[in-house]
Amino acid sequence: METDENAVAHIQVKFFTKQQQYAIQDIPYSLPVNVGTTELNELLNGILKADFVETEWKKLNFDFLHNGEFLRTNLTEHIESKGLTTETVLEVEYVEQTPAPRPQDSLKHDDWVSAVKSTPDLILTGCYDNTIHLWTPKGSHLMTIPGHLGPVKAVDWISHDENGGQFVSASHDQTLMIWQWDRQKNSIECAHVCRGHTRSVECVKVDASHTRFASGCWDGMLKIWSTGEDEGGSGEPDDHEQSQKKLKTNQQKSVTRTPLLTLAGHKESLSSIVWTDTGEVCTGSWDHTIRTWDLESGANKLTLPGAKVLLNLSWSPSSHLLLSGSADRHVRLWDVRVPDGTAVKSTYTSHSGWVSCVSWSPNDTNLFISGSYDNLLKLWDVRSTSVPLFNMTGHENKILCCDWSVPDHMISGGADTTVKIFEAAGHSS
Amino acid sequence: MAAAIDNMSSQVKKVTEKRKLNEETDKDPGFFDEQYNMKNDANDLSDTSDSEESIFSELDDIEGEESDSGKSVSTDESSLENSEENSKDDDAEEEDLRKEEMKKDNTTIVTNVGSWLDSKNMPEVDEYEEDSSDEEDIRNTVGNIPLEWYNDYPHIGYDWRGRKIVKPATGDELDKFLDKMDNPDYWRTVKDRQTGQSVILSDQDLDIVQQIQAGKYPDVSYNPYEPWVDFFSHDTMVHPVTRQPEHKRSFIPSKIEKEKVSKILHAIKMGWIKPRVPKDETAKFYDLWKDGESSQTAAMERRLKHHIPAPKLMLPGHEESYNPPPEYLLTPDEVEAWENQEPETRKINFIPKKYPHLRSVPAYTRFINDRFERCLDLYLCPRQRKMRVHVRPEDLIPKLPKPRDLQPFPTICSIVYIGHEDFVRCISVEPTGQFFASGSDDRTIRIWEVATGRCLKTLQVEGTVKDISWCPNSNLCLVAAAINSTVVLLNPGTGDKLLANGTDATLKNSLTEGETKDSGAVVWKEVPAEKYDTGFRLTLEFKKEVSKVTWHSKGDYFATVEPQAGDGSVMLHQLSRRRSQNPFRKSKGLVQSVLFHPTRPYLFVATQRYVRVYNLLKQELTKKLLTNCKWVSSIAIHPKGDNVIIGSYDCRLGWFDLDLSTKPYQTLRHHKKAIRQVSYHKRYPLFASASDDGTVIVCHGMVYADLLQNPLIVPVKILRGHKVNKALGVLDCMFHPTQPWLLSAGADHTVRLFT
Repeated sequence: METDENAVAHIQVKFFTKQQQYAIQDIPYSLPVNVGTTELNELLNGILKADFVETEWKKLNFDFLHNGEFLRTNLTEHIESKGLTTETVLEVEYVEQTPAPRPQDSLKHDDWVSAVKSTPDLILTGCYDNTIHLWTPKGSHLMTIPGHLGPVKAVDWISHDENGGQFVSASHDQTLMIWQWDRQKNSIECAHVCRGHTRSVECVKVDASHTRFASGCWDGMLKIWSTGEDEGGSGEPDDHEQSQKKLKTNQQKSVTRTPLLTLAGHKESLSSIVWTDTGEVCTGSWDHTIRTWDLESGANKLTLPGAKVLLNLSWSPSSHLLLSGSADRHVRLWDVRVPDGTAVKSTYTSHSGWVSCVSWSPNDTNLFISGSYDNLLKLWDVRSTSVPLFNMTGHENKILCCDWSVPDHMISGGADTTVKIFEAAGHSS
Repeated sequence: MAAAIDNMSSQVKKVTEKRKLNEETDKDPGFFDEQYNMKNDANDLSDTSDSEESIFSELDDIEGEESDSGKSVSTDESSLENSEENSKDDDAEEEDLRKEEMKKDNTTIVTNVGSWLDSKNMPEVDEYEEDSSDEEDIRNTVGNIPLEWYNDYPHIGYDWRGRKIVKPATGDELDKFLDKMDNPDYWRTVKDRQTGQSVILSDQDLDIVQQIQAGKYPDVSYNPYEPWVDFFSHDTMVHPVTRQPEHKRSFIPSKIEKEKVSKILHAIKMGWIKPRVPKDETAKFYDLWKDGESSQTAAMERRLKHHIPAPKLMLPGHEESYNPPPEYLLTPDEVEAWENQEPETRKINFIPKKYPHLRSVPAYTRFINDRFERCLDLYLCPRQRKMRVHVRPEDLIPKLPKPRDLQPFPTICSIVYIGHEDFVRCISVEPTGQFFASGSDDRTIRIWEVATGRCLKTLQVEGTVKDISWCPNSNLCLVAAAINSTVVLLNPGTGDKLLANGTDATLKNSLTEGETKDSGAVVWKEVPAEKYDTGFRLTLEFKKEVSKVTWHSKGDYFATVEPQAGDGSVMLHQLSRRRSQNPFRKSKGLVQSVLFHPTRPYLFVATQRYVRVYNLLKQELTKKLLTNCKWVSSIAIHPKGDNVIIGSYDCRLGWFDLDLSTKPYQTLRHHKKAIRQVSYHKRYPLFASASDDGTVIVCHGMVYADLLQNPLIVPVKILRGHKVNKALGVLDCMFHPTQPWLLSAGADHTVRLFT
């Protein structure tokens, strides 16, 4: 037994952390190379327990990183794969493990859910049965909003407060609608109908200042619209649509709005838009490119070529990195500031189907979720490229949309007509 | 000192011998002196003092000689003692010289035999007086000259006092003869030429002569090979041989050597002495066999190096035997035939004959001719080494690029479109690629969204949908579907609303423009209002079942096929005028499929075995493609219009280059079962074939702008996914118009998207 222990090589490991509350002394520990993350976790908890004598120490789970990459195997395999030797001191960073998201609620719809967007107290979903739904995070259905003549493909909040909110929806019927919702009366009215697109509107995004929004169309056109009451719209009552009569209350007030700006450049369907700055939009398209547009000059600033059809983008305002889900199995992390062809920083491969949606965490720069046609929603850490942190099952069909704009809720909707709410519980912000 | 010892021993010998001589005869002591002197001569360099001493002692003896022999003996003995005393002083280290000295002695002895023989006949009286160790011969002082010079003189020389030595009287021949007869010692009598005296050799002399002749030491008693101890050997001794400590001199560097070295060093420094240039060690040879400049030597060399032996003659067989087995003998008919043959064409150039025994075999008359012909053959036919070409089977396979270099192409099934409840017979993608329509045996047409797999619309129809085709005109939103014996034109209402409305308007306008011309075979009908709302617009009623419907690229014309309709099986329809016409008066066979050329006014009509290409403007047959298969199922044309692929029910796919030939440029037999559909991609160099074995095979088909370069066809992927249902696999396939994706309709009620 002793000879066996002696036969195992040892390596010096130094632990450090950026979470100051869990900091320990900077001492290297000599560990046998065959330890795994569970043993490291035990060791670290032991050290911390010894340090936290005066306060009660509750056992925590930690994740371990080396050179910005998660340790998922035991040290031997990691050292071998990195080409390291046991001579060197392994500097291991540890972070508190992200707690597992808990499935909180499932919102049943009548048809496929193609779009979802949430505020802390409201969830907005768009459906393939041409309706928009308003839910509370508790799972109670507030309102069904008919109005579109085609499947709703995208929704986004313009503004929301305790009195209600304003949001925009994009649909296959080539229009976008700006809706005004009053919480007290629980009444909805279509403030504006935005016309101008000649094919189905695939995506819509409101900018950070809530004054403008951008929409992308199947024919590759990018249009910028104003959210304001009196801007950019030609006040013309909208009455030529036959089906619009269903919403008589809305119809009287809804005014057709025309785009502030139309940007052509993409050769094929524009599938996703993100606002990277106040005057800057980044778009992903079926023509395999990501383009950034300067709205002041209306010029295409940058074109990043990809290899596959892009289905969704997500922009992180804190790290200035772009995530893309595409029509292969990969989630890609882009740095649009890099001018040459090495814009793809890393590729996350775990899904087995098209990645239809990606979303950064609103408060943690390292976390994001991705939903795929393989029915799985995955929670990722940027530093772990091959293994996601958690797989969130529950959907029985393709996931078409996901949202993580509220730190507590990861929301996904799919072709199984449900919206699943996962609680990102106990996450220390 | 070894010489001294030697000297001493010879002295001992001499003394003893002298004693004997003195006892017997006093005849020739000089001989011994001679001997002694010679020895002395040889050794006097090494030890003069000893020998001189002994000589002088001997000389002293000579004084009182003749009278008292004993005295001389005693003196001799004293000299012996002296020499023995000397010998005691000898150092051991000088012993090794001994052997060499002995050899020297030997040689001296041999060379000097003549001289001492010459000096035999000296007057006895003078003998001791004239004896001297310094002189060679003291009896005759003429020196070392030829004695012939004294032939004419009465004397023969001079003695040491200057007196003439008179030649002794010589007798005549008779005296000699008498002497020979009488004198018993005649045989041992020799003449001393120096003195002219005759000397009779004693027994000792004879012994010595014999010893010398035998190549031995003259002294019989002397043993040169006495046993001795070899102190100095090649073995390294532990202890020094002598106990003497080494001399101080041996530790002190030599001053003289140092001076010499410093002189040389100085000379080298000053450049007076140049260090010796190292010699070039490489041996220089004249290469006799190197390649000569002249071609003749090269040819010679080649002949030498690559010698090709002459081909061997056939070994004689049974026919050549003098007694061949009877079956080798020719029958008279065969002999006649042989004789009638040309000599060159004969199988054998002789007639086998049977002889009772070998001795009755006559001489072979054609021997000279045969040898001559053989020599002629060898001389006239240049022999050449046969170059064997190594052809490996792999080399015969054309070099094709690897599939992974030919990406993108569809590889995996990404989306399954579920909804149909029976075979999905046909699919057609919208020109922009957002939607596609599928027709099924469950009597529905469905409109799907490509990206999500969402069925947007389901249209009920009256029968199974045989074929469906989306209008390629981007300004029209129209789908043509072949259902039973009708073709339905429907507006799915997808895409641009304006376009959809515009399509409806154009359809209405077409009615108002020209009246419906009833061509007899086809009736154009408006659909009733309740069906209009679901999207149906027009119905074309045929007499027989319609199996194919295909649009012209402009979107105004479309063609239909009614296989059972005989002469009117192919119909062309113009949408804008609602007009149908039959372009062919006579049917050329069972029409399987029709196709419009994408850019030029050609119509491809595929019958079971042939594809005919008609020029619609000139109304003539342009080409007839020989498909080389039994039953054509489908046809597709490359977007550039110069290449056509044809799928057949006998598993073949033929690629035709229309500019090249009417025969297939390449035939691919990858499918195991009937090919149902073939399709080209509009943008990517891809084509696919769907088969009943449940697979779709995607091939890379690159057509180059350079007309001289043949198309490159590489099968890249077998797409599996569809299940075989009732012996039917994949019934239709079509590429996405913009992406490298493939949609396939299967008998397993699904449509699949491969990306």
